[in-house]
Amino acid sequence: MVINNALVGPSVFVVDDHVGFRESARRLLEMEGYTVVGEADDGCSALLRVQQLRPQIALVDVHLPDIDGVELASRLRELADPPTVILISSHDGGELRPVIASSGACGFVPKSELSREAIERLLR
Amino acid sequence: MTRHGLIRFAVGAAGFVAGVVPLLLAINSPGGAHRAVIAAIGPVIGWAFIGTGLYAWARRPANRIGPLMIAVGFSFCVASLSVAQQPWLFAAGLLFLPLPYAILTHILLAFPTGELNSRAERVIVALSYLSATVGHWGAVMFQNTLRQGIPRNPLLVADNVAVLLTLYRLRFMLGVVLLVALAVVLIRRWRAASMSQRRALAPVLLSGGLAMGLMGVWYLASLARLPEGIVDRLWEVRVVALAVVPFAFLGGLLRSRVAQAGAVSRLVAQLGEESPRRGKLRDVLAEALGDPTLTLAYWLEERGEYVDSDGRTVELPVESSGRTYTVVHRHGVRIAALIHDASLADERELIKAVGAAASLALENKRLDAQLYAKIEELQQSRARIVESSDATRRHIERDLHDGAQQRLVSLALTLRVARSRLRDEPERAQQLLESASRELDMALAELRELARGIHPAVLSERGLDAALDGVAERAPLPVELIDTPAERLPEQLEAAAYFVVAEAVTNVAKYADASHATVSVQRDNGHVMVQVADDGRGGADPARGSGLRGLADRVSALNGRLEVFSEPGRGTTVKATIPCG
Repeated sequence: MVINNALVGPSVFVVDDHVGFRESARRLLEMEGYTVVGEADDGCSALLRVQQLRPQIALVDVHLPDIDGVELASRLRELADPPTVILISSHDGGELRPVIASSGACGFVPKSELSREAIERLLR
Repeated sequence: MTRHGLIRFAVGAAGFVAGVVPLLLAINSPGGAHRAVIAAIGPVIGWAFIGTGLYAWARRPANRIGPLMIAVGFSFCVASLSVAQQPWLFAAGLLFLPLPYAILTHILLAFPTGELNSRAERVIVALSYLSATVGHWGAVMFQNTLRQGIPRNPLLVADNVAVLLTLYRLRFMLGVVLLVALAVVLIRRWRAASMSQRRALAPVLLSGGLAMGLMGVWYLASLARLPEGIVDRLWEVRVVALAVVPFAFLGGLLRSRVAQAGAVSRLVAQLGEESPRRGKLRDVLAEALGDPTLTLAYWLEERGEYVDSDGRTVELPVESSGRTYTVVHRHGVRIAALIHDASLADERELIKAVGAAASLALENKRLDAQLYAKIEELQQSRARIVESSDATRRHIERDLHDGAQQRLVSLALTLRVARSRLRDEPERAQQLLESASRELDMALAELRELARGIHPAVLSERGLDAALDGVAERAPLPVELIDTPAERLPEQLEAAAYFVVAEAVTNVAKYADASHATVSVQRDNGHVMVQVADDGRGGADPARGSGLRGLADRVSALNGRLEVFSEPGRGTTVKATIPCG
């Protein structure tokens, strides 16, 4: 997987039910060189759109209105050519560590600490 | 004298005259055709039936048994005209001869309630009346009475012995069938009766059954063409047996009074011996009333409902369920209801006497039940308070997470982007900072709203008046504050009043479809009354919705009471009454 593409930044898909957060995240990620290819506000539409868009990275909120973010992570990992899944939450994620490990997600980033550096630290 | 009393007096006077008639006629008539028996027994039967009937009628004006007994007396007196020499008087008597027995059949089947309860009973009674009237009259038209050595029958159509005998035989055979049916119904009733019911049934069923049984024997003897002497003796015996019925009836009434007095005095003695345990009082009363199915329900005035001895709600039986109830009062105040078999309703006096004798014990048990009900209620409301406090925490966590926390997270990201642009793109950085500032304002507003939901600061700082003003102002429909107390109230009370108004106004806005609402909080007679009324569609169900129940708990924790009046189409009024020292 080529993350550091010189021409176009790595493609990211954001799944979160708070539109305010999605906007800020998109702004931040794009500023830091990512290409945000799409957003979804629930798990079902996320599955569909990720299948179509084939992003390299999916940021998935743990709390979603329909399916649980951890569950969504494992389902995304089962797709053909799956994205790298990073779980996000406004909690600090300490209590989620064991489930995250079993979900197939590559790691967890608290929403307020979201940055290219934090993402790349997980991808290393 | 009441109108009813006057009627009874007139009936009694007429009955006295009617009773003398058979006596006078019998004395003035030559012998034959049972004149001696009628002379001796006639007035006794007439007077006794009419007198007993009047007594029963006076005791139970709504019960048909009294009037029916009076009817037996009068019809017997008219039937006694058959001893007259004048042909038309004689014929009138002749026509009425079998009627008293048909009415007696009716009485036996209707005793003691006065009602015929099944189709079979109604059929037996209807056929008895039909046979005693139309059936008998048909035969009379062919009866040449001169052959029997009695006056001429002016109604004679044809002197045809064969037709006469056939008609009589048919009527007698029908009579036997009806008597068998009557016996079956009465035996069944006897077997189904309780001990106390049997006490009341026994004298009437035995004497009436004897009279009707002898009637049956006479029918059979006539059908079997036994010698005339025997048939005539049987006729006399059954008339004498008929005379016994009213006395047995009277005896039954008196006996049930004596038995009642006995049951009540035993009850008083038992209640005096010891203070009955829980459940024991019911047993003692069940025994006194002779109804093992008896249950007790205690009246709780403040709840407006009956409860059992453990304080659980009891529904009183509805009509036609086979069960009914009698309310017991003490010093004019309702304290309990005895729920008993519907057949016991006729022994109203016994039930009243038992209720009166046990009223002190019932009042004590009622106080116990009240206490148990209170404990039950407290346990439930305590569980609900814990539950609602958990729910509130979850709700606050949710609100914080979805609201302020999300905004602050976005804010953090936005600030980070702004910082990184500060040097290269200062204008873009400024735009981002402005957007961050708006985000912060919204987060603060949400936090304020949330804090007010937990406890409005204005309430503790500036009092109920100001806090309610805020509620009215924020409401999405016009809310008019009619009245609020000028002085500060105790803190808990202000909070309860505030939340009652806030929740009620929220409900009005959400569900009532109202054009406006009024709010008043008044101090009156040691109570604070909080009232929120709207002009909406009404029909709110206070049992549904945890909001109102939570309020009811909050109010009852202060010994207050929350009521909801919400008739469909007439708006809703939520009213809390809370004691205030």
